[in-house]
Formats: sequence, structure tokens, C-alpha cells
Amino acid sequence: MDTCKRNELLIGLTMLGAGLGYLFMTLQLPRRGFVDSAFVPYILSAVLCLLGVLQLLAWKKLPKPTAGAAVEKESIDYLTVIKSFALVIIYVALLETVGFPIMTALYLYVQFLVLTPLDQKANHLLYAGIALVSSASIYFLFRESFDLLLPAGLLNF
Amino acid sequence: MIELLQQGFGAVFSPYIFVLITLGVAVGIVFGAVPGLSATMAIALCLPLTYTMGPAAGLSLLVALFIGATSGGLISAILLNIPGTPSSIATTFDGAPMMRQGLGVKALGLGVVFSFLGTIFSIGALMFIAPMLADIALSFGPHEYFAIAVFSLTLIATLSTGSLVKGLFAGALGFAFSTVGIAPVEAVRRFTFDHPSLNGGFAMLTVMIGMFAVAEVLKFAEKGRSADRAKPQNISMKGIKGFGFSIKEFIFQIPNATRSALIGVGIGILPGIGAGTSNIVSYIAAKKRSKTPEMFGKGAPEGVVASETANNAGIGGAMIPLLTLGIPGDTTTAILLGGFMIHGIQPGPLLFLTQGDLVYTIFAALLLASVLMLFLEFFGLRIFIKLLSIPKHILLPIILVLCVVGAFGLNSRVFDVWAMMLFGLLGYGFVKGGLPIAPFIIGFILGPMAETNLRRGLMLSDGNFMGFLSNPISAAFLALAALSVSWHLVTALRGKKDGVAQLMSS
Repeated sequence: MDTCKRNELLIGLTMLGAGLGYLFMTLQLPRRGFVDSAFVPYILSAVLCLLGVLQLLAWKKLPKPTAGAAVEKESIDYLTVIKSFALVIIYVALLETVGFPIMTALYLYVQFLVLTPLDQKANHLLYAGIALVSSASIYFLFRESFDLLLPAGLLNF
Repeated sequence: MIELLQQGFGAVFSPYIFVLITLGVAVGIVFGAVPGLSATMAIALCLPLTYTMGPAAGLSLLVALFIGATSGGLISAILLNIPGTPSSIATTFDGAPMMRQGLGVKALGLGVVFSFLGTIFSIGALMFIAPMLADIALSFGPHEYFAIAVFSLTLIATLSTGSLVKGLFAGALGFAFSTVGIAPVEAVRRFTFDHPSLNGGFAMLTVMIGMFAVAEVLKFAEKGRSADRAKPQNISMKGIKGFGFSIKEFIFQIPNATRSALIGVGIGILPGIGAGTSNIVSYIAAKKRSKTPEMFGKGAPEGVVASETANNAGIGGAMIPLLTLGIPGDTTTAILLGGFMIHGIQPGPLLFLTQGDLVYTIFAALLLASVLMLFLEFFGLRIFIKLLSIPKHILLPIILVLCVVGAFGLNSRVFDVWAMMLFGLLGYGFVKGGLPIAPFIIGFILGPMAETNLRRGLMLSDGNFMGFLSNPISAAFLALAALSVSWHLVTALRGKKDGVAQLMSS
């Protein structure tokens, strides 16, 4: 099975799964008559499930790939996506305890490194400089000019 | 009206707001010009700056960003042959060939001037139509609002690019996410898992910042390391008089520009489609009406004029349903709606009665921002070209940090940042699965409006659903919604391409 067709199947299954999951949660809601706060969620669950089924039907109708057809190859760097997402998760998780200024500077520096194009050399000094300046200026700009107190964390003494 | 407008101008010419609008237009142009950044993102990222500003200053900044970013797309469309935003796709068709022929300055000049004229035309339409529509909308009750919400939702789901099933699913899923929290009317807690932070549901801004900005950063990570970056060419402004084209050329473009402006406003008013579609539709209309259609695609100035007039004319068009009914026509106006609500303002017909001065301040800000856009974009071009070459692997992480600040600043809690990350992941999943994001956002925003008005309407008609059909306005909108879905279903079953897809491929 070619990737495109397999993807459409996966999308259909996910759509149906989301619909069923929502229906399951809706079933737990207390009922107080025909039109109550569960009424719209029931309609939505039905619509979501129906559209999931329709997507699966559309997948079945997809033509099989003909032999010799040019297959478009995409070069998707999932490793960088996963690394970037993990970095963001760590950044947010430690935002309150370690604080915005330190975490932002660290996050920016590492994220610059992760995203540096393969044909370029990482300029550590420049990256560290930009990370520190951005972090400090965002922190103080919001603190002083816009009354938004970002978590200071370890620097709160 | 004139008096209110005078007051509005009085407000926007105060030094503080004037500086804000100037900065807003400049930052907007940069967001429009850099491919991958958009007007929606510009407004989302600058929203936290407005938290502590008054409504007049905050909203003036936001509309200035809207105007700058819609127009800024033409810079990269002409210089790099890459549309900065979907609104300037058709600008590349003739803008880039003109650049290759050494007519870059003329293409930019025409683009900027007609962007300005398109914006002004649409603001005129907005100022003329919106108060009248607001007068009519004052008599609307829950039946009408429910029907309008359903109509807008089906329209955006069916008109968004890609498959009908996926569009409708995205809209319904957005609606489903909006049901989290305390339910309208009965105040039952739904889908909160006893988590108090979820009682109020997901904040609209965390949804939008996540779906647009965070998902965009993840999308960039896919290819960012191997992407070959196009370098903007330098452009010489020496010996250029005015905006680089003659009065004769200007007069020649007037019929084309008028047609394109009308298309832009018309498409902008409809929920679901906006500048991303109107630039292509008006380009095709211009080509059909032209005496020299064979020149299109080879550097015809008419092409640039048609596309740029239409996309900017969408601004006023999209603001009409937003201000009069509280219904966003596209994702950019959806985030503007978020901006209004942060300042405690509920757009709708009452806005014109209770906050008339604010409405006219917004009109004045739109007009001033257009004038500033005209001069900043053309004469500051060299600076914007320089900014185009900022590497994205530096820019996008900083944007992500600003997203975090924006989400955190909503309620000063990290919960909203987590919610934003969740929606970022969901948005990335949407991109991978070919699901359109716009219907999700509109479903999320219009869902509560539809549900609340359905419940209220049913209470008014003693639980009888016929109340929605016996009311002529609501019946008409519901019929239009049903027609739009069934028409698209029939076309989809016949295997025909939808109108926009046909236009794109022609």
C-alpha cells in the first residue's frame, strides 16, 4: 500500500476514534430532559463519527497506485520535529520553577542549535548572545512596560 | 457620523496611538513579507502587548498590524517569487516576471498603491454598510443568531480547501472543543475531568496561538535544516519618481482596480473565504477582461494590480460581519475578535449604540494605518528587504517564546501555556492529515454562539424546533446552510473539483 493511501486510512481511523471518544465522554454527562446540556454534544458526536466513517469510505474508493507512477518523495526531518517539541515541553515544564529568564535563554540557545541548517556552522557565541539579549529584553519589557509578571523562578531573591 | 469620525481621528492622532499604529503597520509588513508568518500570527503575538493598553490604543495597534501584514505579502511575492501570505499568491504570477524584466520597482509601486486604494475602498464600504447592517441586526434574536452561526460554520467548512469531509470534521471538532467547561443555560460542568482550570473552557487565544504559531514552528522544523533559502535581490530606487509609474498607467488600471476591489469586498464579507481566495478570483477576472490576456503570467501590471487591490479590499469586507454580528469571516478576524474580547468588548449590533466612539476610532485607525502603509512600505522597502534575510532558525524560536508569553499573560498561569502546546500539536496533526485549520477555529468560536442561541431559542418557543423555521430570517439562513452542504456533497460525489480548486489549476 502506498503511503498516501495508508495516510488516508490513518486519518479516517483517527477521525472515527476522536468521534467515538467524544461520544464516550458525552455518555457520562447527566441527562435532564431531551434538550439539555448533553444535547449538542450528542449531535456533535454523531456528526464526528459519521464524518469518520465517510472518510474511511473515501479511503476505500481511492485508486490503487499504478505501477511505474512517479512517487513523490518528501524529505521530512522528523527527528528535528521531535527534538524541537521535546525542547518546548521541557521549557514549559520548568518555566515556573527555574523561571522565565533562565529557561528562555537556555531554550533559545539549544533550539537555535537544533534548527541550524545542515550547510551552516553553528555560531555558539552569536547564538548565546541572541538568546541572552532576547530573554532579558522580553522579560523586562513585559515586566516594566506591560505589567506582565513572567515567572522569575530561581532569580526571585 | 462625521462628528464621531472626527472624534476618532482626534484619538488616533494622539502621539501615543499614532506611534502604536506606525509600529503596528511596520511590524505587520514584516510579518506579511516573511513567508510562513502571517497576519494572524502578527496579531496573536502582539496581543499580549495590548493587555494593559486601553481598548482604543490596543485595537488601533491590532488593526494596523492587520493592514500591514495583508499588504506586506507583496514584497516577497515580487522580490522572491514566494507569496509571503496566501493573500498574495496571484501577485507572484506577474510580479516576479516584472522583477526579472527589471520592472521590480514599478511592480512594487503598483502593488503598494493599489493595496492602499483597495484598503481605502473597503473601509469606505465598511463605514457605509456596517452601521446599516447593525441597525437591522438589532432586531435579531436567538433564532436568527443560531441560524447565522450555523450558516457561517457550514460555509467555512465547505469552502475551505481540500476535502469536504475533512473541512466539516475540522469545524465539528472545533465546536466539540468549545463544549469543554461550564455549559450555557444549565451551568453543568462538561468534560472538565474535575480540573478547575477547565471550568472556563479553553481560552480562544491559546487555541489560536497554538494552532497557528506553534504548529508553524513544528512545520518549519521538518524542513528547516535542509531548506535552500532564496536571497532577496537588491533593488535600486535611484531616479525613481513618485511610486515608479506614470499617471497614464494609473488611469489605465482604474477599471481593473474597481472590479478587483468589488470582488475583494464581496468575498471578504462571506464567512470562510477571504483574501486568500479573492486575489486569485480577481486575477482571473482581470485576465478574462483584459485586451491582452496573453501577457498575463509574463509580467502584466494588471495582474499585480488585480491581486493586490482585491486582497486588501478584503480587510474592510471581513470587518463587516465581525463588527455588526460578532462573526469572524476568517482566521485573522477571529483573532481580532479575541482581541476585542480581552478588552471586554463584545462585537455585535449593540457595539454601534453603546461604543459608537470606539467603532469610529477603529475606522479612523484603519484609515490612518492605510496611509502609513502606503508610505512606509514603499519608501522603507530597503529596510524590509534586509529583514527578509533574517534566518528563520533564529526567528521562529523567538516567536515561540512570544507565544508562551502571550498564553501565560492571559491569566498568569502555566495551564494556558500547556493548553497552547496541546493545540499546537493538534494543529501540526491537522497539517499532516490535510485537515484545514480555519474551520476548526471558526467552529470553536461560533460553537458556543450556536449552542447558547439554540437553547435560548428553544426556551422562547417552548421547546419547539419549528421556531427556527417559522422565523423568516433564520429559516433563510438555515436553508442556505443546507443548500451549501448539499450542493458541495453533490459536486464531491460527482468527483468534480470545487470552484476555487478549478481556479487554482487554471
